Amino acid sequence: MIADLLFRVRALFRRGAVEAEMEDELRFHRERQLAKLVNSGMSAAEARRRVQMDFGGLDQVREECRDARGARLIEIAAQDLRYGFRVLRKSPGFTVVALLTLAIGIGANTAIFSVLYGVLLRPLPYSDASRLIVMNETTPKVGLVSVSIPNFLDWRAQSHSFAGMAAVNDVGFNLSGLNGPPENVTGEAVSPNFLSLLGAHPFLGRDFYPAEEKPGAAPVVLLSYQLWQSHFGADRNVMGRTVTLDGRAFTIIGVLPPEFRWLQKVDVLEPIGTWAAGNSGYSERGERGDTVVIGRLAAGVSLARARAEMEGIASRLATAWPATNDQCGVALQPVRDVFVSGIRESLMVLFRAVTFVLLIACANVANLFLMRGVNRAREMTLRVAIGASRRRIVAQMLAESFILTIFGGLAGIALAAAAVQGIAALIPADVLAGATVELNGPAFLFTATVVILAAFLFGMLPALNATRTGAHAKLREGGRTSSMGGGQSRWRSALVMAEVSMALVLLVGAGLMMKSLYRLLSVDPGIRTERVVTMQLSLRTAQYDKNPAILNFWQGLLDRVRVLPGVQAVALASGVPLMDDHWRTDILIEGMALPKPGSFPHPDVHIVSPGYFDALGVRLLRGRVFTGTDNETSPRVALINARLAREYFGTADPVGRRFMFGHESSKQHPPRWVTIEGVVGDTKMYGLENPSRLEVYIPFRQLVTGSMRLVVKSAVDPAALVPAVRRAVASIDKDQPVFGVVTMQQVVRESVFARRITFIVLGWFSAIALLLAAIGIYGVISYSVAQRTQEIGIRMALGARPGAVLRLIMGEGAKLVGAGVVIGLVASLGLSRLIGSLLFSTSAADPGAFAAVTATLVLIAAVASAIPARRTLRVDPMATLRWE
Amino acid sequence: MAIDLPQGTLDLLILRTLALEPQHGWGISERLQQTSSDQLRIQQGSLYPALHRLERRGWIKARWGASENNRRAKYYELTKTGRRQLELEKDAWQRLTAAVAQVLADLP
Repeated sequence: MIADLLFRVRALFRRGAVEAEMEDELRFHRERQLAKLVNSGMSAAEARRRVQMDFGGLDQVREECRDARGARLIEIAAQDLRYGFRVLRKSPGFTVVALLTLAIGIGANTAIFSVLYGVLLRPLPYSDASRLIVMNETTPKVGLVSVSIPNFLDWRAQSHSFAGMAAVNDVGFNLSGLNGPPENVTGEAVSPNFLSLLGAHPFLGRDFYPAEEKPGAAPVVLLSYQLWQSHFGADRNVMGRTVTLDGRAFTIIGVLPPEFRWLQKVDVLEPIGTWAAGNSGYSERGERGDTVVIGRLAAGVSLARARAEMEGIASRLATAWPATNDQCGVALQPVRDVFVSGIRESLMVLFRAVTFVLLIACANVANLFLMRGVNRAREMTLRVAIGASRRRIVAQMLAESFILTIFGGLAGIALAAAAVQGIAALIPADVLAGATVELNGPAFLFTATVVILAAFLFGMLPALNATRTGAHAKLREGGRTSSMGGGQSRWRSALVMAEVSMALVLLVGAGLMMKSLYRLLSVDPGIRTERVVTMQLSLRTAQYDKNPAILNFWQGLLDRVRVLPGVQAVALASGVPLMDDHWRTDILIEGMALPKPGSFPHPDVHIVSPGYFDALGVRLLRGRVFTGTDNETSPRVALINARLAREYFGTADPVGRRFMFGHESSKQHPPRWVTIEGVVGDTKMYGLENPSRLEVYIPFRQLVTGSMRLVVKSAVDPAALVPAVRRAVASIDKDQPVFGVVTMQQVVRESVFARRITFIVLGWFSAIALLLAAIGIYGVISYSVAQRTQEIGIRMALGARPGAVLRLIMGEGAKLVGAGVVIGLVASLGLSRLIGSLLFSTSAADPGAFAAVTATLVLIAAVASAIPARRTLRVDPMATLRWE
Repeated sequence: MAIDLPQGTLDLLILRTLALEPQHGWGISERLQQTSSDQLRIQQGSLYPALHRLERRGWIKARWGASENNRRAKYYELTKTGRRQLELEKDAWQRLTAAVAQVLADLP
């Protein structure tokens, strides 16, 4: 089979050589025959005549040889392609419209597939990633929470479902001492078996030793490949050198492989033993910091079985340690699901939607072909009449559609290259989690498949159609008034109807998403986001170990930034809304009945400077906000949010009431009561769509933390203030990095990214669909007008009013659009449930959205049919009658 | 009077001839003439399309070599699959002729 093909291909491409060989062979034969005859005594002339007679017609032999060599089949294909090119060049308008349509359809598909592949499908750089399970603890009040290290150690000791388990704890460092400004790097403190559990190996150097799990392990670090490239000049002898993290010298022991990625950006990995020293989180069962556990399922163990075992262990721990583990469960998720949790749904919706775009594009091109087929009916008829087989004509028309799709596909890839970057830019970096989105091999393979499918989709129908009617019928139809048969116009109407209905489905999707996004963005986050920029500072070096140093830094920063030109307000906060920053802890309100250990009020605690409420516009509802006199020597005070006031104080005034952190059982002597001084409005810490939680605010001088966000409200563009703020920080401590610089409006935008990306891309798709459907309608109506010119002329000659004629033609369009709309609405009702989980306070059958998009579509359709229909007004009855 | 070759038998005769030794087109035609005692008449031109077809099917393969009079000539030889094909066709042909002969003998 392959040999046969190679033989044919050689016959085609090395045609010169093959022909020459054939000539040599045939000449050799004739010369030998001639020599033989002459030797037997024949005269030269007679011999030549005999040779010719015996041999037969030379040209015919040559042709038969070529046929026998099988070059014909491919030659015919080449001929079809050449002819196809010629035909397409002769009708540039048709070709350009078809190419553009296909380029858009194919390009959109390639772009979405590339994103889908990069984010959802590309294998994770771990071996057998489907067996890797990420584990969290759960509490009834919050849901998923981090794992406490003592619990992890018990899980590991007691479970049998896993071949291995590792703790992975998010860390951040101030990286300084290299050439360049100080910067913040992120990474993980991990159990030493972390990499081997994933099936990853250092690119250079060594993995962690098991002994490096013990608290107090020497500071060693693995660098990410990227950090090694950018900060260490890709020096292969980097092992043994030290790097300064948080002012401490870490010995570099190796470099991670280039493709390595984890749920958060990893610049460095340290062993958990290094991190444990000086971190109470390592030994306190009640501290759930930033740790997840990764496990590899043991051979033959299903996720369900592992889950059952882990739930048993968690409930045993809850009984054994009620103070810290009451009502705590465990959640197991495949690692792939955790990577894509934020975006999978949007991408699946868009992938389905983009199929519609392609189908509409194909329908449109098929329509163009059908329309052109009418003009070429005579050509086809003639070809059939002089003996072309049906197969041959179909093949020839398919060649044309292949040329179109291949070039459309190439143009589509160019479009996709641009679109992919645009779409990827809509996804926040932490959601991408190191996924690279690009046009690559799988994407091209996908595109090639789409191209072939598309070529058949829109090529087959017109091709079969063109050859369907018998030759006689068409020849009889005569030249000038050759018109589309009933069958063809039915096909074209069906295609336009399908386009209209699919366009409507996309429009409904976009409409519902728009409404959801609008509703979501109208949700009050409890803060004013205009002209506010925030940035993170973490005081982690040794000089900030002692308390006054931290407060002095914060106070100095506030003082210096406040006087910068353009600054309206400045504040510090341990967390700001919509950024998932959090520190939560149980509180006990004075006088409340002692609840079960797991049922204490569990608010988010925000440590803030007095200006916070002013800078972010958090409303004061009762009492007072903090002032400069709420300091380390004054009585301990707090503010609570409206929800906490409502749930725990009802209608009573909470101002003046007291609470304490932790449980009564933790018996502080004497109890350190905190007095509530005021009530402020709820803020949305965890996304606009989620309800506000309980919140407590503490003045930053009474509960000191080294990690804060600076919040700056500006009179001008807030981003313009950032360099001056950086200089202010450097003037206090030149080794202190400032990172995570973001305006609050960006924060809001990123918090709704999943709906935003769905809306934006779906919006583009439906605009394209609308345009293509309009072109389809326009085509059908203008063709109909052209075909019926004569009829219209007669009608007008008999006294029909122009308005009536216009209505007649418009009615034709209205019927198509009406049918399409009905089909589309029914389909939308079924399909819009697919985006149900992305909708926000909008029903999947929202009548407003349905009505609005239907009206839009009908309006566009009316315009698309009115433009060609108006041509009937210019019909001169006399001219059309004379024409016949 | 030489007889015309029945449809489809030329391939069999070519394969049979090449089973003896590699040969060029003219040589094949000479050999056929001799071994059939000039009984078969082959339009010499029709030999070549047949050779090219057999080559494409992979039953014979060609290489250029020097002929007996030291000219460059295209020699064909049987391939392994060609040899198998020859056996198959020989068998089919023998069964055909035997069957035809039997029918003819039975008729009065």
